[in-house]
Order: sequence, then C-alpha cells, then structure tokens
Amino acid sequence: MITNDIFGALQLLIVGMVTVFLVLLIVIYLGKLLIWAVNKWAHEETVAKKSVPVAKAIESIDANTKAIIDAAISQLTGGKGRASKITKL
Amino acid sequence: MTAFSDIIASNGTYLIMYLLAFVLLYLGIVKHFEPLLLIPIAFGVLIANFPGGDMGVYQADEAGRIVDASGKVLAENIWEMSLPQIAHDLGLMNFLYYMLIKTGFLPPVIFMGVGALTDFGPMLRNLRLSIFGAAAQMGIFAVLIIAVASGQFNIKEAASLGIIGGADGPTAIFTTIKLAPHLLAPIAIAAYSYMALVPVIIPLVVKMLCSEKELKINMKEQDKLYPSGQKMKNEKIIKIIFPIAVTTIVALLVPSAVSLIGMLMFGNLLKEIGSDTSRLFDTISNSIMNTATVFLGLCVGATMTVQAFLNWTTIGIVVGGFFAFGLSIASGIIMVKITNLFSKKKINPLIGATGLSAVPMASRVCNEISTKYDPKNHVLNYCMSSNVSGVIGSAVAAGVLIYRYVLKISFQLFLVDFGVDLGARPQGHSELWPKRLSQKMPKSNKNNGR
Repeated sequence: MITNDIFGALQLLIVGMVTVFLVLLIVIYLGKLLIWAVNKWAHEETVAKKSVPVAKAIESIDANTKAIIDAAISQLTGGKGRASKITKL
Repeated sequence: MTAFSDIIASNGTYLIMYLLAFVLLYLGIVKHFEPLLLIPIAFGVLIANFPGGDMGVYQADEAGRIVDASGKVLAENIWEMSLPQIAHDLGLMNFLYYMLIKTGFLPPVIFMGVGALTDFGPMLRNLRLSIFGAAAQMGIFAVLIIAVASGQFNIKEAASLGIIGGADGPTAIFTTIKLAPHLLAPIAIAAYSYMALVPVIIPLVVKMLCSEKELKINMKEQDKLYPSGQKMKNEKIIKIIFPIAVTTIVALLVPSAVSLIGMLMFGNLLKEIGSDTSRLFDTISNSIMNTATVFLGLCVGATMTVQAFLNWTTIGIVVGGFFAFGLSIASGIIMVKITNLFSKKKINPLIGATGLSAVPMASRVCNEISTKYDPKNHVLNYCMSSNVSGVIGSAVAAGVLIYRYVLKISFQLFLVDFGVDLGARPQGHSELWPKRLSQKMPKSNKNNGR
C-alpha cells in the first residue's frame, strides 16, 4: 500500500512540477507577447495631468481679485488673518 | 448545567486547547503575527472547546455520518440534510462550516480579494524572474513524498500537508477541504503560523545556502550591464488584458485551478480597469474580503476540537509543514544558483527565496536582507516578480493535486452514469455522489487509510 502511494507521490512530483513550470513559462511568454503586441498597436500611455496644488490654485485667480480679498481679510481680522484657499462658487 | 464537570473529567485536554487558544491570541494581539487571521482562528478554537456550547465543528466520515466523542450518532448522513436542519441539530458553527467552508466557497472569495490587492506590474516588468515562482513549489511535492514514506499519512493527507509549502493560506485550505477535510484545522494553523514566521524562516534558509558575495549581487547594476529588450509603452492596457489571458490559458491547461486563479484574476481585473469598476473593486477588497476572513478564521478555529486536534497527526503536520516551507525557499534559491552558472546576467538568490506566495512579506524580508549587506541594493521590485508568480504557481500546484483525485472520481461517476461497471466503489469524496453511487455501486471493503 505504502509502495503504491510512494509511486503515486513520485508521479505527482513529476506531473506537478512539469505543469507548474509549463504554466508559468506560458504565462511568461504570454506576457512578452502582450507587451510586444501592445507596444506595436496601442498608442503610448499619456501621463494623467497632476491635480493643481492649492498654492497654484490661488495663483490662478486674478491677481487684482486676490489683492482685494487679502485686503478685506486683513481689515476684518486686524492684520492677523490670511487667505489659505480661494475657490469660485 | 455548567461546563466544569466535563472539563474536569477530560483529564486536562480541554485546558490544553484553552492554552493553545490563548497562545494564538497572544501571538496575534501582542506580537502582531497575522492578526487578521490568527485572532479569529484563536477565538474559534476557544469557543469550540466549551462542552455543551455546540460551537465545535463535527467532521463527517465518508458516508456523511457524524458521531460525537461519546459514540452517539448525531447525523446519519449530513450530505442529505438541509442547512436549517444542520443549524438546528448541530449548531450554528456547523451550519457556517458546511455552508461556507465545506462547499469550498470562502477560499476563492478570499483569492478574489487577494487579486484586487495584487499588482502584476513588477512581474510584467521582470517576466524572466517569474520562473522562480515555479521552482519554489518543489517543497510541496518533496514533503508529499516524505509524508507518504513515513507511513503516517495516506497520499491525500500528504498532499494536503505538502501544500503548506506553497505558503498560501486560502490555497492550503481549499486543497485540504477537497482532499483531507478532517485535517483542515492543523493544516490551516500550520500554514498561517509559518506565513507569520516568514521573517524568521527565510533568513534562516538564506544563511544556510547563500554566500555574502551572492547576496551582494546588485540587480539594478546587472540590468544596466545587460538591459532587457522590452519596455512597456502602455502598462494600463497590458495589465487589463493580462488577467483575462492568464485565466483563459490556465483554465485550458489546469481546469481544477480555475476556481482559485479565475477569482484571483477577476479581482485583479476589477482593480486594473479603474474608475469604471471602482465600486466593485472597493467592495471585494474591503467588505467581502473582510467578511470572508472573519468567517473563514472562526470556522477553521472551530474545527480544532479536542478530538480532532490532540493527536500525533497534528504534530506530524506541524513538523512536515516546516520542512515544506523550508524546502520551497531552498529550491527557489538553488534554481537561481543553477541559472547563475549558465547566465552572464547574475541574479540575487533572494529572488529565488521569494518564489513562495507569502506576498508581500517574503519580498519585504528579502529586501531587508539585501540592504543589510549593501544599503544601496534594493531588490523589492525584483522579488515581487517571483513572489506574485508564486501565487499562480501554488494555485496551479493545488490544481494538480486536486485534479489527480477529484476529477478522477468525476470520470468514474461519468462511467457509472453510462452504465459502466467499475466493480467497486471509488475511494474518497463520497459526498460528491451520495445518492447515485449508493444506488448503483457496491461499497468497497478497502481501508481508505484514515
């Protein structure tokens, strides 16, 4: 009984390792084929535009408007406050 | 009325189980060893071992018969019982176990979540290194032979023990449910414990097999010296097509691995598609995976009752599991060494050591080892390649082990349905054919080895 089982285990070792190597080799060459095909036919990936940081967002507002808002805040808070974020509604 | 009289009468066996539960809880809570799994498992162990609590899982024999420790028959044939009947007669935990675990439902669901959290990018960028994910499966089959030769395990039990070497919890559970469900608890505990001990086991094996010169091999410098030809112009498209293509190929070659690989790749596909499927991705990687983990942990823990756990087989599994793990790491390293003999472009042997699936812990540990020898030598991305391919490799290995038995029986059933006389009842997995075979075939007198 044990001899039969050892023979079965040896069979599993050979079949199992061959299958695992075969499948991963296929996966590797499939990956290479995909990369080759996509490189050939698909357009190059465009890098997504980064979101504009807050500081730049403030800069994008008209300088005159920003100066008026800053002056108003300064007057209201006695020079202690400042605008950290300005968004259009 | 209380549980004290049974606990006292048990000669301390229940106390051993409580101690084990407390140790596992300590490892999970204080030492942070795989807390997401060890804590539910440990709590499952605790609640399953209070006499009269009805929270322990009963394992049915081949005919579906369930007998308790005192010899009382609790169910004549559980495969013919409805789920509400199981809940009523055997308790809540048996209802959950037979519905979620025994059907093999939860491991593929967890694989789906794992797929959603896996990035195949490093693997696609270093495809050549993926082959070491195959080499590292050697431990599974080596321990299978050793376990059979020891005479303590039959071949199905040995296969379930060997799969611990794949270092993949859901795969180990899935294989064990199919081949040796009565060993589910010790195998799940051993698999997750050794995965938690990856930071100890990998350095130990690496120290035994690798020289300092080998560990200092700088992969980035090797890439500069011998650049690989292919660069990816559009990684997003490749990453979307890859899971679909791999599922199709694996399904054709090893159909029994589809439940694991298919779900892994489905989860990954939802991740890679992006905003169109972001809601599904969010659900499978959080809500579904977390729910599955809770029930898997509790049910596995609840299978660890005094009767099922305190025996020599469990000790054999703990020892064998360690060897399976160690041999898997060693075989990956040896494969790298052999490759280095024939290749100009040298590979750091740590990349072979990460061929088992414990993602991403194995890669992180190997990166720490390499930076210890050379602070500028970061191998994480390269290790991730073999590490991720190891997930595919261990699922395929499990598929081969399951295919060997379950499909063989399916074929026998097919023959029986068409009136072919097989002479005797095929061995194992009687739950798959309780009515048809009992009507059509004589029962075999052969000992099934359990």
